[in-house]
Amino acid sequence: MNLTLYKKEWKSNWILWVIFAAVLTVYACMIVAMFDPKMGDSLKMMADSMPEIFAAFGMADVGQTLLEFISGYLYGILLTAFPAVYIILLSNKLVARYIDNGSMAYLLAVPEKRTKMIRTQVIYSITSLLALQIYIVAVLLIYSQIMFSGELEITAFLRINVGLFGLWMMIGGICFFFSSVFNDTKWASGCSTAFVVYAILVQMISQVGDKFENIKYATPMTLFQVDGLAAGDGSAWVGCLVMYLIGIVFYVTAVQVFARRDLPL
Amino acid sequence: MKDMNVININHITKDYGNHRGVFDLSFQVKEGEVLGFLGPNGAGKTTTIRQLLGFIKPDSGSVSILGKDCFQKADEIQRKLGYLPGEIAFIDSMRGWEFIRFIADMKGMKDLSRAKELMEQFELNPNGKIKKMSKGMKQKIGIICAFMQNPKILILDEPTSGLDPLMQNRFVDLILEEKKRGKTILMSSHIFEEIEKTCDRAAIIREGSLVAVDSMEKLCQGRTKKMEIAFAEESMATEFMRNYAAKHKQNSQKQGYDLGQQGNKVILTVGNNIDQVVKAAAQFTIKDINVHTQSLEEFFLHFYGKHENLEREKLSESIDVESDVQAGKGGVR
Repeated sequence: MNLTLYKKEWKSNWILWVIFAAVLTVYACMIVAMFDPKMGDSLKMMADSMPEIFAAFGMADVGQTLLEFISGYLYGILLTAFPAVYIILLSNKLVARYIDNGSMAYLLAVPEKRTKMIRTQVIYSITSLLALQIYIVAVLLIYSQIMFSGELEITAFLRINVGLFGLWMMIGGICFFFSSVFNDTKWASGCSTAFVVYAILVQMISQVGDKFENIKYATPMTLFQVDGLAAGDGSAWVGCLVMYLIGIVFYVTAVQVFARRDLPL
Repeated sequence: MKDMNVININHITKDYGNHRGVFDLSFQVKEGEVLGFLGPNGAGKTTTIRQLLGFIKPDSGSVSILGKDCFQKADEIQRKLGYLPGEIAFIDSMRGWEFIRFIADMKGMKDLSRAKELMEQFELNPNGKIKKMSKGMKQKIGIICAFMQNPKILILDEPTSGLDPLMQNRFVDLILEEKKRGKTILMSSHIFEEIEKTCDRAAIIREGSLVAVDSMEKLCQGRTKKMEIAFAEESMATEFMRNYAAKHKQNSQKQGYDLGQQGNKVILTVGNNIDQVVKAAAQFTIKDINVHTQSLEEFFLHFYGKHENLEREKLSESIDVESDVQAGKGGVR
């Protein structure tokens, strides 16, 4: 890893990170606060009035415990879709932007191997996501503790987050791959966005009713089984492992392709 | 050691289709030499340089610097190389000085005294945001980034683009200074004068193929200028015309050599007979003299004129271009 480049990336991207962290904080605290029986009732009423929409967001049949409540309302869509937007923006900035505007020439005109430079960007991508993940876990843990001391089953909660990070890694790897193989930011961000929209849309449709239930096999989002992870099911762990593997394979492939390809600089 | 080839381009072809790219290109840059790389826009100069920097691989052939393959060993070569890209593209959000520091860090440099020296030499105030800088200022930052590590080899892609004439001269001085220090330099340009002032040899490329590699002296032979002499009276111009036409019959009949009168002005093409022309004109009262230097396209025309075995097709094409240049922007330099 090239430390100078790594530091530079934090310096120029921290605002993006802070914005997404702030948005996620607001959502996380809002949902936790709603666990309060009084507020929860109003949420339940809302859910009853438009069941399809709540189902699409994975918020149908949200259970009674704080863990079920958080995992239903937060981990169904908010903590997958919003970070996905962050991932699209970040991946695009980390490689494709430099190639597109030509400044990659300066990053490569230094006595370092190309693989080292691109690996630095991979490490930045992963650590920045990891920082976001740790941050949001900390916010949820602390805020739940303050509001409803002792109600959250912490181990099960952490298991869900291991899965969530797998999901982020998977999306991160795929978007980073697109960013590394195209010459144009248009194509890089276009493919990343198309992939994310497709994956989330199919997941939402599959959750609406029994009719479309089977199309859940057509989206990688299904690999993230929130309830299964909470219960510690074997099959949920397999899904989780597959997400990490997909992520790693795409990151590694991106590095290999980038190191060997022609760059229009 | 003097004859060692530092940069070795060996029969490279990189075909982008539509006759774009480079085709079976070979030339060498010797140690301590300044080689000009001349060609019109789109001739393949940047494509060649990209291969030297290891950004792209040739379809066939090989490129090496200091005996190392440019793609595989790009990192080792970079230790001794300064590069100025043809397109200025920095990280816009940074300030100028911040960017220079960043590049220095990336190159593992500790000592920034050379960078400071260069900033003074080019009168650059690097404190502003790069986004807000003019093209010339950005070019200066690029130059500083290329030269500040004091590299043995320099590859410069159109180094003076965006610089005003004063700064272009400073740049020529910088090249001459670096040359004295024994640096090996490859610089591309589409302006002949810039190359003429600094380079020992030049490689000329057109449509992706090498036209010539030769010493500047040889290349300058047969180079012509267009002279516009305004005499005090029209009769002087007529008299001069008569004398000149008689003496230089063979010249005035050569292709590309003009000779004509417009009132008190005489417009003529001058080659190595410049001394005679000036002396002949000096017999009369002269009000003004303008000298138009050749554009690269005009230069090519003469160059092809000398090597008549070259394809006729190319020749007629360059005549077209020449007349365009004449009509459009045949300015005085």
